[in-house]
Amino acid sequence: MVLRSSLKNCLQLSCVLRTPKAGFRSTTSGGLIIQSISNDIYQNLAVEDWIHDHMNLENQQVLFLWRNSPAVVIGRHQNPWQECNLRLLRQKNIKLARRRSGGGTVYHDLGNINLTFFTTRKKYERMENLKLIVKALKALRPRLDVHVTDRYDILLDRQYKISGTASKLGRTTAYHHCTLLCNADKFVLSSVLKSPYKGLKSNATPSVPASVKNLFEEDPSLTCEMLLDAIAEEYATQHQMDHHITLINPADETVLPGINNKTKELQTWEWVYGKTPKFSINTCFSMVYKDSVLDVKVDMDVKHGRIEVCNIDLPEQWLPPALCSELVKSLTGSKFCPSETTTLATTLLRVCPQDDELHSRWNLLCENMLMLM
Amino acid sequence: MAWRALRRVGPCLAPRLSPLPPLRLPAARRLATSSLVLSARKFTDKHEWISVENGIGTVGISNFAQEALGDVVYCSLPEVGTKLSKHDEFGALESVKAASELYSPLSGEVTEINAALADNPGLVNKSCYQDGWLIKMTVENPAELDELMNEDAYEKYIKSIED
Repeated sequence: MVLRSSLKNCLQLSCVLRTPKAGFRSTTSGGLIIQSISNDIYQNLAVEDWIHDHMNLENQQVLFLWRNSPAVVIGRHQNPWQECNLRLLRQKNIKLARRRSGGGTVYHDLGNINLTFFTTRKKYERMENLKLIVKALKALRPRLDVHVTDRYDILLDRQYKISGTASKLGRTTAYHHCTLLCNADKFVLSSVLKSPYKGLKSNATPSVPASVKNLFEEDPSLTCEMLLDAIAEEYATQHQMDHHITLINPADETVLPGINNKTKELQTWEWVYGKTPKFSINTCFSMVYKDSVLDVKVDMDVKHGRIEVCNIDLPEQWLPPALCSELVKSLTGSKFCPSETTTLATTLLRVCPQDDELHSRWNLLCENMLMLM
Repeated sequence: MAWRALRRVGPCLAPRLSPLPPLRLPAARRLATSSLVLSARKFTDKHEWISVENGIGTVGISNFAQEALGDVVYCSLPEVGTKLSKHDEFGALESVKAASELYSPLSGEVTEINAALADNPGLVNKSCYQDGWLIKMTVENPAELDELMNEDAYEKYIKSIED
């Protein structure tokens, strides 16, 4: 079975890993199968970075198996505001991560398996990897109707997507990772992957939505462990190696020197939000104030996640023009993010005259501005 | 990049180099051998090309690379003013769910990026040697150019990785 002893394997791995010039010592076999003991998206993405940056894959290929607690993962060149419901993510405490590979946005939870195939750039071959997964699924349940599409998705029953793909090609190494939906929470999945933001214009890579299905809906007797085991076995067969999964702890600096810095970098605002391709917002919202409705028009250009240009069109005299221009002035250059906007709005209000009417108008405007973020 | 995928398509799609565009140097300058040599397109083993004119290099990816990548949907390029060393990662191209890193062929400073690619990343496929260029950069160390492949050597190199 897959999850053989943990401690022993971790120790073995550290022996394998701790070689000069980083990386797994070349073994007689042509491959290595590792599985993360962490369910943290940032830690697991950091393992991918570590292997990509430090391992010599010339003589051996690596298969990395991992699962995450609830997280939305966007592609390298995507816009999180366009791809998901950030407010819902914050409410439900679902993490948001940006990966280094291309492709579209996916939802992860423990009901989803992730597989990363590491090779040299020369041996990078997504179709072969996906066929390997299909073969493993068929070996486990011959009656499953699964096949790979030319968009590198795996479909169940000819119409439901159960796997999405993305990849990254570096100077000498490459990796292809994909998801496999086993019993993920489809309700959460579809609600977090709907963007409520309007009037957003961007050249960022858009996701292509698809109807999804969990493998366990098709066959409730399956488990994630069975699937991981079957895939590991097929991988081992194809690489003529021992079917053995080595467990890895992505927080262990002795095994993966420098990994914690990689994890931290993936968590920074500058990477997750700041790497968003330049975009603009042209939108209006209506505010109800004392039985009257006001329309507010907002235009913003956002570059590297920061507001570069900002315009707020309010009915004349609704707020003192000086205060309004102060708001525009301080928004310009600040992060397009609710917490930073809240802070600067509160600061501005503090220097205003103590006037209840003014304060409630101000708060109403700021609340609505926050809804855009 | 996905060489193997390309090979499966068949010999009709085997990468071919399009002929060099005419040099846009005035007739008198053509006689200056150094300029002439510098303006020829040079290639890296990672399939970037650079051609230098008046001390400024224009960088793009080769026809072989653009065919292997497939439809480019996003070009991530550096800011003007970014200082690059030879082999530095300077951006990435996204195509068919893959992000492929770009590597600087020389050391120098980015002086211009191709703004047309923001709205039209497909130019990299349609015109990889002309309208689909990626960045322009200064050439800090002209000797580095000699380490790159000329058109003939690059063509041989492609043949060698295909076999």
